[in-house]
Amino acid sequence: MIATQIARIIAEYMVFLNFTGEDQLDPDLAVKMMEALAGDLEELDRGFLRELIDAFAAIALEYDGEAQQLVRDIAYHFFLEEALAADDPVRLAELEAIRDARYAAEEMGEAGSGRASGGDA
Amino acid sequence: MPVGMPRHRAETTRKVPGIGDREKGRDRAAAIGRSRSSMLRRERRENPVVAFAGGVGEGLGQVARDSAAGMRSMLTTNPITTIRNAASGVAGMIDTAIAAKARPAHVQIARAADAVSGASARDVGRAAGAVIANTAMVAAPGVGAGRVSALRGFRQARLRPSYDPPTIGWVKETLRSERAWKVYNDSAVGARPGQAPTLMRTMPDGSRRPVTFDGIQGGYGIDRKYKVVDAPHARAQLLRQSDVLSQHQLIGTWEVTSPLQKAKAHKLLKKMNVRNIKVQVVKP
Repeated sequence: MIATQIARIIAEYMVFLNFTGEDQLDPDLAVKMMEALAGDLEELDRGFLRELIDAFAAIALEYDGEAQQLVRDIAYHFFLEEALAADDPVRLAELEAIRDARYAAEEMGEAGSGRASGGDA
Repeated sequence: MPVGMPRHRAETTRKVPGIGDREKGRDRAAAIGRSRSSMLRRERRENPVVAFAGGVGEGLGQVARDSAAGMRSMLTTNPITTIRNAASGVAGMIDTAIAAKARPAHVQIARAADAVSGASARDVGRAAGAVIANTAMVAAPGVGAGRVSALRGFRQARLRPSYDPPTIGWVKETLRSERAWKVYNDSAVGARPGQAPTLMRTMPDGSRRPVTFDGIQGGYGIDRKYKVVDAPHARAQLLRQSDVLSQHQLIGTWEVTSPLQKAKAHKLLKKMNVRNIKVQVVKP
C-alpha cells in the first residue's frame, strides 16, 4: 500500500519535470532533478523497489496519453530493473536485449513517421 | 731594375705591352667578346638542362623559405593570406600537384611535369628541387626540417574556417543541496560556486537559448551525470547539448560515476546518434 502512495508522489513529480514548459522550468535543471531522483531510487531496499516498480504500472492507468506512458515507463527511464538485477548477468543481458529491441522499434517508428510526413509534404 | 733609372719610368716601361702582349690582349678581348655573345645567346635560348638545374636550386631554396615563411605565417598572419602568398605562380601549381607526399619523389616530379606540361624546364626543376628538399628534410632526424612536410599538410588543411572561442555565460544556480549528487555536479572542472556555465544555442528561428553545463575545460563542455536517465527530457537535453556544442565547434564530455553508468551513457548516445559527446568515469 505504501509503495503505491510513494509511486503516486514520484509519478506526479515526473510528470511535472517532463511536461512543464521551458518558460516555467529550466529543462536542464529538470534533468538534474531526475538524475538525483534516479540515485535515490537505486538506493532503496530491493524488496521495496520491486513493489514500487510494480506500482508504477498500476497507477499509470490514472493518467492519460503521454503522461500515462511516462508513468508506466518510469522504471525503464531510470534503469530500475537493471538496478534490481545488478548481480544477475543473465537477467541483465535479457534487459539489455529488451532495451535494444525497444530502441530499434522506436527508430522504425521514427522512420515510419518520417516517411509519412514526407509523403504528406 | 737598372741603377739610376727613375722608378716611375721603370714601372711605366713594365706596363707597356709588347707585340706579343698585344696579340694576347686581342685574343683575350676576342674571348670576352665570345663569352658575351655566348651569354647573350644563353639569355635568348637557355639550355634546358642548365635551366632544370637552376630550377632545382631555386626549389631547394624555396622550400627553406616556405618553411620559415610558413611557420611565421602560422603565428602572425591570416591563413587565407598565407595561401595567397605561398601559392603564387607556376611553382605554386607544381607544389600543389606534388602535395601527395606519400608518393616517391620521381613519381611526384613526373606528375608535376604532367600537371604543367606547358611550364619551362626551370619550373619543373624548381619542383624537383622542392621534392628533394622536402624528402631530405623529413628524413633528417631531430631537425625541425620535418616541419616542411607538416607544412605541406598544413597548406592543404588551411582552408578550414577559423572560429572565435565560444563565449561562456554564467547563470546563478538557485538550487542548493549538500546531497551527494549536488556535490558531484558542483565539483566538475571549471565549475564556479553557485554558478553554472552556459553556451548560447541558436534556434532555427534565430532566437538564442542557454544550455547549461556543469563545467568547462578548454574546448570541452563538461556535464556531470550522477545517474544516467533515459527519460524524454533527458534525451531532449542530450540533443540540445550536442547541438550547441556543434554550433560552437566544441566537444562535450559526460562525466559519470561508474563504468556501469558509462555503459548506459554510451548506449543512449549511440541510440540518439550523438557523436560529439564523450563519456568518462570520474568517481565521486
